[in-house]
Amino acid sequence: MPVRTPTDSFFEELAARGDEPMLRRTTGTVRFDLVDGRRVDHHYVAVRKGAIEVTDSAHDADAVLRVDRDTFERFVTGEANAMAAALRGELTVEGDLSLVILLQRLFPGPPSSSRAGTRPDGGAS
Amino acid sequence: MSGTTVKILDGNTFVVSDDRGDIEASPTDPSGLFSFDTRYLSKWVLTVDGHRLQALSTDDLQYFEARFFLVPGTGTVYVDSKLSVIRERAVGDGFHEQLTILNHEEKPVSLEVRIDAASDFADLFEVKDALTKKGTSTAHVDDGRLVLSYERGPFARETWISASEPARVDEHGLTFDVEIAPHGDWSTDLEVVTARGPAGERHERPKYGRRAQARPDMARDLAEWIADAPRLVCEWEPLTEAYRRSLVDLAALRFTALTMPGHALPAAGLPWFMTMFGRDSILTSLQALPFVPELAATTLRALAERQGSRIDDFRDEDPGRILHEMRYGELTAFEERPHSPYYGSADATPLFVVLLDEYERWTGDTALVRDFEYEARAALRWIDEYADLQGNGYVSYERRNEETGLENQCWKDSWDSISYRDGTLPGFPRATCELQGYAYDAKVRGARLARLVWKDGGYADELEHEAASLKRRFNRDFWVDDGGYYAVALDADGRQVDSLTSNIGHLLWSGIVDKSKAKSIARHLVGPRLFSGWGVRTLAEGEGRYNPIGYHVGTVWPFDNSFVAWGLRRYGFKAEAARVAAGVLEAAPYFAGRLPEAFGGYPRSLTKHPVEYPTACTPQAWSTGAPLLFLRTMLGLEPVGDRLVVDAALPSTIGRLELLDIPGRWGRVDAFGRGRIDVDVRPRRTAPGAGAASVARRQ
Repeated sequence: MPVRTPTDSFFEELAARGDEPMLRRTTGTVRFDLVDGRRVDHHYVAVRKGAIEVTDSAHDADAVLRVDRDTFERFVTGEANAMAAALRGELTVEGDLSLVILLQRLFPGPPSSSRAGTRPDGGAS
Repeated sequence: MSGTTVKILDGNTFVVSDDRGDIEASPTDPSGLFSFDTRYLSKWVLTVDGHRLQALSTDDLQYFEARFFLVPGTGTVYVDSKLSVIRERAVGDGFHEQLTILNHEEKPVSLEVRIDAASDFADLFEVKDALTKKGTSTAHVDDGRLVLSYERGPFARETWISASEPARVDEHGLTFDVEIAPHGDWSTDLEVVTARGPAGERHERPKYGRRAQARPDMARDLAEWIADAPRLVCEWEPLTEAYRRSLVDLAALRFTALTMPGHALPAAGLPWFMTMFGRDSILTSLQALPFVPELAATTLRALAERQGSRIDDFRDEDPGRILHEMRYGELTAFEERPHSPYYGSADATPLFVVLLDEYERWTGDTALVRDFEYEARAALRWIDEYADLQGNGYVSYERRNEETGLENQCWKDSWDSISYRDGTLPGFPRATCELQGYAYDAKVRGARLARLVWKDGGYADELEHEAASLKRRFNRDFWVDDGGYYAVALDADGRQVDSLTSNIGHLLWSGIVDKSKAKSIARHLVGPRLFSGWGVRTLAEGEGRYNPIGYHVGTVWPFDNSFVAWGLRRYGFKAEAARVAAGVLEAAPYFAGRLPEAFGGYPRSLTKHPVEYPTACTPQAWSTGAPLLFLRTMLGLEPVGDRLVVDAALPSTIGRLELLDIPGRWGRVDAFGRGRIDVDVRPRRTAPGAGAASVARRQ
């Protein structure tokens, strides 16, 4: 059995989500091409008004995001920020950029972020 | 040296040059060709036979193009008129420059024409802060083209320079050996293309070519933009001029996000703030709503697409939070600055809900409100769950990014803007008063949308209950008894930061002010401590930090005043609103109809004319929007159901005023008013009376 990576977990959890309110207005397909040397893994995410389906299809998509496998792993663990990485040129997007901007919001924040200053219960008064 | 600067732009690509068209930037001199927050040209100097040129005249033809008429020699007494040089420049994905030389002699001339070019690829933040580069720059000649490059790891930016006429190209520029017949001319097209590479977007050519190609498109676009907006007919020339200036400047300030081609939102200011800002884009959209409502729709969409979704201390991001500022340059890319995007603003999130509601009231576009239900609820949730830093039921701010985050996350964002009467500064967190007003308004408006569009009466009740409770507590905790106004903030101990400021006008706008207290607020706003005669000061005369030329501690801000006047109007103080509007609008002619970001808070009786506060950015979006909001306020325009109600209260100086074809859910309607209020701009008690009004419905 291969080791289950954070990237695997991310796409599994994405598929398990079924419906994502942040993507409720969104319909489209994004293919993540994760590059590791000569090998390219495909993760194909189809969104239909918030309903998410994930496969490993290599078919054409509305947007194709191509990035180094290790860098992507840092996105899904919150250690790297995808928007900044895109500005640096560490990833490329072909096609509908807005789909990618919407999807990257599903990546977590940095594990070190503390939320100092917020009440622990997080509730309204 | 040449003093005047000329700025032209297209979206977030702009050129700042001297009046000869030359660019000679130093690390800290902010001239150059900029695109996506990167300087692509820091040097662009034209010489003829080794000599610099002298400007005879410069035309800013449109905001995106300029024409420079030059002659050789830099002497001030004698002008050599045997040659004329004309540079016509249009910006867009770089720029296009048509260089023409006319020979006025009866014999042929031989000339060496040279363009020196270089780029430091500075990030806009580096230009402001004078930082040094970490990557490497190179220049090489490729297929007759000069290519300037910058690389830092995978980050690459390039400038491609080429000419239509034969040139000797070297790593520092282009040289032309030119022969011109008697009374003849010579011309070449220079193309400067900005490229983000190697994997980034590439443009083979600049967006606009020779003027013949460039002009029809852009000129038609501008003409359509103006024709689409309501038409103003007014006896008082300064208002007509300010109105037209505002529409043209708003057109220039349109910014198109990469994700929304064909749609524009207002950027914050030209040229340094040509990007998406939460606060500035929202407030400008609000001001412009009765005139160009599509700006609001785009602002709402673009901000919703980038709404905070996680906790990120570096970016001061929280779930539901609306961004403060987006940048694309090197420092942002390498996370030396947090603007990818940065979320450190405490007011953009409640104001997002305020704009969503106000947009629906004007346009009836319930589909958009339905589309953004999730984002609006997330914004409302942010107010209670993430912005209540002290657990006291008030919105306050304290940055988590202590290195490069913003200390002050309200519109008065300078270091000394929030002070006690004695001039001392409170610590953090700070709960400024207008934030509570915006939060109250967001809840009230959110409740209306919940009932009307989201069909969730329970949620509406809950929001209204919270709003009522906030209002009750606010009027108790912020009211300064011995002053008869609201404290500008509560400090970390819940103590009142007790100075008198213009912020109390925003409270009227939000509706959080108890009716019984409104009169006292209105009296302060037009009273001698706050009202200068040209408008309401940011900080009242007599306060410890008051300074008539202090950025947020005594100057008069036109944008601030437009919301203050709207607030006065909301509570029925028509004459006071008209007086504030008249004061600021009477300043406009001193700036050729273009209201600056701020002017001095000196009493009008002292200076006779408004003293401009020097800032690098003009026009500033929310100053551009101010005349529009003043018009709305003075005409008393208010959507009620599917009708537009007009209840004009105009200063008598304005005379008769017609605003024709106001767009909205009613189709297009006209509004009329006649100035009936004798406005004495000296700060004193209110003159009675209000203007007459009528409204006509048209198909």
